Amino acid sequence: MHARGKSAVVAVLRCAIVALAIGNMADSRAQSAADGYHYMLPDTDMGAGTSRGRSKTQASPAAAAAATPFERAAVAVNPQAPEAVPIGSATCIACHSQENLQFSHTLHARAFRAGAMGSSADRTCESCHGPGSLHAGSPTRPGAIIAFTHNSAIPVATQAATCLGCHAGGARQHWLGSVHEARGLSCSDCHNPMAKLSPEGLMAKNSISETCAGCHQDIRAKFNRRSHMPLPEGQMSCADCHNPHGSVTKPLLKTDTVNGTCYSCHAEKRGPLLFEHPPVRTNCLNCHDPHGSNQQTLLVAPMPMLCQQCHTMTRHPNDLQTPIGLGIGSAPDERLMGRSCLSCHANVHGSNNPSGARFHK
Amino acid sequence: MARQIRLTPLIGLGLALSAPLIALADSSDSARLGDIQYGNALDPRGWTPVLGAPDPNGMSRLHAGSLRTPSGTLYPAPSLFGEHILGDWHYSGLLEVGYTWLSGHDDALFVHQYNDWNKGLALGLLWLDAYKPETGDYLEFRGSRAGDDDQFYRARGGRYGSYKVEAFYRDIPHLISSNAYPIWDGVGSGNLTLPAGLSAGDSEPAAVAAASDAAPRRKIKVDRSRTGVSLEGNIARQWIAYASLTNEERNGTRLWGGPMFFNYPFANNGGIMETVRPIDFTTTDVSAGARFVGALWRFNAVYTGSFFRDHQDQLDFQSPFHLTPVTGSPPVSLVSRGQFSLEPDNDAHNLRLELSRSLPWSGELSLTGAVGTMRQDDNLLAPTTCQGRVGIDLSPGPNFTVDCADWNTSAALSQKSADARIDTLLLDARLSFRPLPELGWHLEIRHYDEDNKTDYLSYNPQTGEYGYISENGSQAAVVPGEIGIFDPRNPLYASYFGQIRAVPYGYSDTSAELGADWRIGARNTLSAAYTYDRNQPDYRERSQVDENRLALAWVSRSIADGTLRVSYDFAVRSGDGYDYFPYADFYSVSVPGFVPSPAALPFTVDAMRKYDLSNRKQNKFRAIFTHPVGDNATASTVLYGRYNDYSARVGRHGDNATGLMLQWDYQPLPSFTFGAYVGGEFGETRMSNVADAEAVVSADPHYGGAKYPYGNSWNETDKERNLNAGLNFARSFGRTRVDGAYSFVYARGQLDYDYATTAALAANQLPFASELSAFPDTHYRVHTVDLGITQAVTNELAMRLFGRYEFGDFDDWHYAGFDRSLSYDHRIYTDRGPGSHYDASLIGLMLQLKI
Repeated sequence: MHARGKSAVVAVLRCAIVALAIGNMADSRAQSAADGYHYMLPDTDMGAGTSRGRSKTQASPAAAAAATPFERAAVAVNPQAPEAVPIGSATCIACHSQENLQFSHTLHARAFRAGAMGSSADRTCESCHGPGSLHAGSPTRPGAIIAFTHNSAIPVATQAATCLGCHAGGARQHWLGSVHEARGLSCSDCHNPMAKLSPEGLMAKNSISETCAGCHQDIRAKFNRRSHMPLPEGQMSCADCHNPHGSVTKPLLKTDTVNGTCYSCHAEKRGPLLFEHPPVRTNCLNCHDPHGSNQQTLLVAPMPMLCQQCHTMTRHPNDLQTPIGLGIGSAPDERLMGRSCLSCHANVHGSNNPSGARFHK
Repeated sequence: MARQIRLTPLIGLGLALSAPLIALADSSDSARLGDIQYGNALDPRGWTPVLGAPDPNGMSRLHAGSLRTPSGTLYPAPSLFGEHILGDWHYSGLLEVGYTWLSGHDDALFVHQYNDWNKGLALGLLWLDAYKPETGDYLEFRGSRAGDDDQFYRARGGRYGSYKVEAFYRDIPHLISSNAYPIWDGVGSGNLTLPAGLSAGDSEPAAVAAASDAAPRRKIKVDRSRTGVSLEGNIARQWIAYASLTNEERNGTRLWGGPMFFNYPFANNGGIMETVRPIDFTTTDVSAGARFVGALWRFNAVYTGSFFRDHQDQLDFQSPFHLTPVTGSPPVSLVSRGQFSLEPDNDAHNLRLELSRSLPWSGELSLTGAVGTMRQDDNLLAPTTCQGRVGIDLSPGPNFTVDCADWNTSAALSQKSADARIDTLLLDARLSFRPLPELGWHLEIRHYDEDNKTDYLSYNPQTGEYGYISENGSQAAVVPGEIGIFDPRNPLYASYFGQIRAVPYGYSDTSAELGADWRIGARNTLSAAYTYDRNQPDYRERSQVDENRLALAWVSRSIADGTLRVSYDFAVRSGDGYDYFPYADFYSVSVPGFVPSPAALPFTVDAMRKYDLSNRKQNKFRAIFTHPVGDNATASTVLYGRYNDYSARVGRHGDNATGLMLQWDYQPLPSFTFGAYVGGEFGETRMSNVADAEAVVSADPHYGGAKYPYGNSWNETDKERNLNAGLNFARSFGRTRVDGAYSFVYARGQLDYDYATTAALAANQLPFASELSAFPDTHYRVHTVDLGITQAVTNELAMRLFGRYEFGDFDDWHYAGFDRSLSYDHRIYTDRGPGSHYDASLIGLMLQLKI
């Protein structure tokens, strides 16, 4: 702790020196920006910088000819500091050495820096945080730089727009209007681009599922139930089925329908089958809870109760079953014991047998 | 017929096709379906050893405590990473290998449900990470092996911002039962035969019970092996192309059924078997697409194809049970074999186009269209496998027998293959604007359609009869005339009521949503959305189901420095008239010549409302509050509820769930973290039904009528209580790191019932009505304790000793009595269930070597 405190003092002193220097630079740079001067940065992810083309940092002809997309990324636009100008990563690192140390292990850092090789000054930091001159001159001024952490003076929408400046499209095609966007989540609620905390995806926690569980604790708890998908065992994550960035379904599924998602692992259920079971064909969730259940095979209710909620057909389906029909009862009944209805109607997901209309075959 | 798709040539083809794509990249993982996460029960994160020691300086020297997300959650402390340089490459890596010991109930289901850890060598992790700073070229590898059926290996490489290639192999186990005692020979194949000592169709229950007692214990499990390659990268300025190929093999067994007609109404008759079916699946998925990301336009086009092959077309099984005609007449033959068609091969194709354009006023128009098709054309099995004649000959009365030769070949089919097909269409348009920073609104219209084109007529061209041989002839062998065939030319079968045509279920769904949000100051946002949804199912009890939904939400960052997210939904579902029997066109009643029987029974009670179509009022809420406490702690609360009220007299009445979760995360130092949580969920599902008066011959479907009298009605409520609690910690002292966790899971299910009169009971249970009692509660309770210590020996070498102790108990009345016997008259079961109690310990000693 003591060493850490000493380091902090050194960092603050370095900041003060840098702030004095930056104060002199800022005015001239601001004028250059107003003239349309382009502060070129290394590009990022696919499509980098393209969405920012409509910002005030239009790509220059030089940038258009750049060799890699990371060289085309623009400095982020900070609406709360329009007068600020870029100062370069080296200046940022003078104060933020520890941040830089952690950031250097991330995919972001490697990609930006590779893009900057031999092309221009490294302004990696400012491609996300916006031009840093104002912040460098007044480090504690709220909004002088785009901050992505708690109590940032920069609105969440601006934070997200900054990320989407490079990450628009692809998996983020439907971000606008998604429930996470509507609930005011920032990208950095789920991601931490500044440190390698997870094996990939620069997640805000050590894994995708831990990140999701930060808010969806109840769903995480369901995975502890008797029957569940293998998420607690690390074989899958929430993002295997859901696209948290938005989709054309309300539950953020990656396919057109619930069943489409289920078929991706259970392709045998897809059929189509000669004889279909209509609630199965319509929606697997009619009978299953994919996150976990206290019944066998993720069922939403014990059998035969589950089946008897729809099947009142004359004769055997509509009798009240009681413990008398259990294996320990006086009149054991196959409609209750073991697999219950499925002892006979085993092809309950549909049958391809010409004699399988009742899923017996 | 199964047509095997060979993986190797396809992957080779994929790689060959990738060669011209010199510039590919970001996989956009969050858009990919499956294979996002690689881990196992030894390390669910799939790279925990890499985290190593935390950086004592944390994330920043300029901020007290840990940094937080905008919502207020603490970011974990980052780790100390090191790397080496070799030529132009920087690299780092870690190898963790060791030995694990598993003891106690080491074969318990809940110990192994999705893992294959055991006593033996284990590869905890092999992780390699190399990159070339000057060019952005990189290579990554992660691999782990907990057991033969529980391992993953994945390699990635490429150039940042240019292209990426990925290949993986993984095995995922799924244990379904470790307590199974199938009596048959041939388990795992498509042909189950009885062991020596049992005669097909002619064994006494005592002999079957003896065979069950003598059957060896087996595991029922499915192993999933997946292999894949994918590539992605720039093909032109702002254009990205991507493709993937995945092959999956699933092998093993699953518990299955085996009906040879009821046993419950007839002592010493019928046959109910819990059999075991084979799993021998291959699924090959391909995708290829391209996307464009521009300043104004964004476009994505992707084709996905999925090809499923089942290498086992059918399950044939021998039944040991003797079937006896209820009339007392001698059987014309022994019916001793049953058969299931297993899932047919199928192909699916989907082509999706997405287009978005930025608009003035911070607006966007987003259009999505997708067309798809699911098809299968497997050869159909014959309607029966019986030999000779089957049925009951009441001579000199009616002769209710059929010649199996007329039905046991494909010549008895109206078509030789399924020719089944469903086409899908998705159209989605969303328009959103934010004309003011404080105000945004959106309009979305969505249409989805499934058009089922399958048409199958159960018609035997050899005999001119409709229908099929029910339960392979077993039903006909017990009850005269219940063969399953309809023949308008034959007075014996001209009144038979049965399904003679497949119902091509499909549906379309159209919805429109109009919503807006208002930002009130910098810290509050209110939003509201109204959604109208019209679902139009084909050939269902309703042809139209409408839902009106109002969704309200409030996001606040003004309460105690925390973030509160509250949402509330109110929805009302209704629709057109409910037809309790919409299937007439697919039943024998639709065939000219059908003769209504004076003894006809109703299909079902008219008051039944199936819950996926019935009227419903829904109230839903959720509140999530994330509260920073000081510089280094976070308290979070989730409170939620869902309440569905179905206006059904018969069927599901309602279901609800209310839950509360509390969590505390504490990170006073990068070297010390502590977390604790507790939560519970309480819910119930309520329903009612009515037993038909079996002694009454009436076609009256009315609830309260002669066939479905109120006195036969009954209610059931399933109540569930779920509790979760746990804590975890990690503490580093110099070169030593200690971590631990405890979790507790408890679930209790309580099934209650009541009834108007004992006439609601099954006739076979009525004589024992005086013994009526409550169902035993089901419960599932697990305690898990994890402890680990990691000691760095040098900067590169560390030892890790860890252990898990897990114990639990389980009870489910479905298995009541199965610990004593799996044989009950003419019923034979296979799975004894997970067992009432288990405890198991896993100890591992691992060597960690930084590379």
